[in-house]
Amino acid sequence: MVERSVQVINRNGLHARPAAEIVKAAARFRSDITIVRDDLEVNGKSIMGVMMLAAEYGSQLVLRAHGADEQDAVSTIATLIESKFGES
Amino acid sequence: MERAIIGIPASAGIVVGPVHLLRWEVPDVATRILADDAIPAELERFRSAIERAKVRLAHVRDRAASHAGPEEAAIFDVQISILDDRDLAAQVESFIHQNLAAEKAFDVVMHEWRQRFAHHTSPMMRERVGDLTDVHIRVLSILLGLPDHDPVDVPKGAKAILVTHDLTPSLTVQLDRDAIAAIATDAGTRTSHVAILARSLGLPAVVGLRDATVRLSGGEQAVLDGSTGTLVVNPTDAEVDVYRHRAEREARDEAELRLLASAEPVTTDGVRITLRANVDLPEEAGSAATSGAEGVGLLRTEFLVVGRTTMPDEEEQYRAYRRVVEAFGGKPVVIRTFDIGGDKLPAGGFPHEPNPFLGWRAIRMCLDESELFKVQLRALLRAAMHGDVRIMLPLVITVDEVRQARHLLDEAAAELQERGVPFRRDLPLGVMVETPAAAMSADVLAKEVAFFSIGTNDLVQYTLAVDRGNVNLAARFTPLHPAVLQLVKRTVDVGHAAGLEVAVCGEMASQPVMAFALIGLGLRQLSVAPRSVPLLKRIVRGVSVELAAEAAAAALASDNAAGAERQLAGRLRAAFGDASFLGDGLLGS
Repeated sequence: MVERSVQVINRNGLHARPAAEIVKAAARFRSDITIVRDDLEVNGKSIMGVMMLAAEYGSQLVLRAHGADEQDAVSTIATLIESKFGES
Repeated sequence: MERAIIGIPASAGIVVGPVHLLRWEVPDVATRILADDAIPAELERFRSAIERAKVRLAHVRDRAASHAGPEEAAIFDVQISILDDRDLAAQVESFIHQNLAAEKAFDVVMHEWRQRFAHHTSPMMRERVGDLTDVHIRVLSILLGLPDHDPVDVPKGAKAILVTHDLTPSLTVQLDRDAIAAIATDAGTRTSHVAILARSLGLPAVVGLRDATVRLSGGEQAVLDGSTGTLVVNPTDAEVDVYRHRAEREARDEAELRLLASAEPVTTDGVRITLRANVDLPEEAGSAATSGAEGVGLLRTEFLVVGRTTMPDEEEQYRAYRRVVEAFGGKPVVIRTFDIGGDKLPAGGFPHEPNPFLGWRAIRMCLDESELFKVQLRALLRAAMHGDVRIMLPLVITVDEVRQARHLLDEAAAELQERGVPFRRDLPLGVMVETPAAAMSADVLAKEVAFFSIGTNDLVQYTLAVDRGNVNLAARFTPLHPAVLQLVKRTVDVGHAAGLEVAVCGEMASQPVMAFALIGLGLRQLSVAPRSVPLLKRIVRGVSVELAAEAAAAALASDNAAGAERQLAGRLRAAFGDASFLGDGLLGS
């Protein structure tokens, strides 16, 4: 299993469009992917789950992946979140 | 059935056309129990409904993208992702495995999710309920065999009257004006989102019809009259004739006024008056530019935040401002910074106040939330690369606010500099004069700003302590009250003496008597809704500054608003003879 912390740094947080982008990226991996915020743990491939995180600007998240491409999965999603989803 | 349904007039104009009824509400679902051997087929039925919904959504998205833009159509991508959610599908399928029919299974699961989002503490979550509801309705409609009726499917040229409960954002982006000629909604008031949107798109609309979606079945012929707030169903031939005649007359009057678009706004004694447009939405910029307006006297920026919970980022704001600036090709565009707070809030984002018009709003909120304000200032500095942008601060009561705003503007510029983003630094910074405090401090303010723009509606409201939205006070809301005229005059005199440009950007300037009074008080710049520009031009071309000044002096010397109006109206009528366009509304009352 691979685990990594990441901070939400885009102003608008993980609202609908970023959540959809995360889910789309996660779906490309075979590993199970979970995202954790405080004591809430959700499936990274489910948009309902990712939206439930209500991760606003500045939130700390933990990404976890378990499976054949776990390394790649975690770094891809972390990079996406750190790229601010094209927001400035 | 009573054939005339009376609502609230929201946007003027007459349309005769077929009703396109959109019942965009979650249908009632009866519980249906399956036999064990029906379960596999039911699972299949559920999956194919999801697939069908996705195909529909992709279609709606593509159509919306082609007439509203890809940004706006992204809302449908989110809905497609919801349909792709395996966890959500698994919950529904587990209910089907327990012998529940697909529509009930889906209904139960979606109700639960919507509850969870609706009651969440985060406004970001509550904002998503609309998307969940859209998905809920769409899939249930398919499972229950209800017709698809997305507004994007109304054929071009249909000139239909869209009748719906309320215009949600996802419906709004689907509006194709070649297909939908008018809007009628059960919900809404004159100032609600749908009314503002309809006016700015020039679509006739009636709101507040209460139960039109229940009383109509769709496909009926109807007449919508946006000036009286009436929807006439199955009109007789005679009624259609009457409305057609009225519509033709209105169109003729407008065409005549449009001819004035290229005429010079010069008074009979040769004084040039600059006429600009008030713009609410970037989509309006094109039509405002062809109305004959020489730039934008007031670009409201609230469209960026009303009805949403997240603030627009710098990029989105920059693109919106740039669009307007480019439509006016180098002519001045005065952009008012966020006038939010009070009645115009991003949903759930700010505290509820007992007295919002005297509350934490406009420049007050922007200065306290300086990071949020600087996002807007950076977007404005960047948009200024594409034309003549001027920044206007609303609800200013003291010069300190101007100084603080200027300080933040410098910070915003420094931040852009550091990022290496192109921007223009030397934008004119002006203030709205809409409080007695600003008018009385005009001499102090004049030393620190580049222009004044008088906001007449608020100046009247704050001077007279009369709530402009209160119907019981309508008769007391008197713009020609001598106290208001004195404040306007003082602002104009002080501003001009200091060499500033002074404008009026209230809708009131579109009323003939008010325009006449304002010219008489010394104003040489007026800004009104694009539709009113030609009429205003006609007033300007028919009066002399000399006569207007004499009328204004007489109005100032009157002891009340009625007396002032008599002084002005008498002279204005004399100047125009019995011109019908002065018509029933010297003061619009």
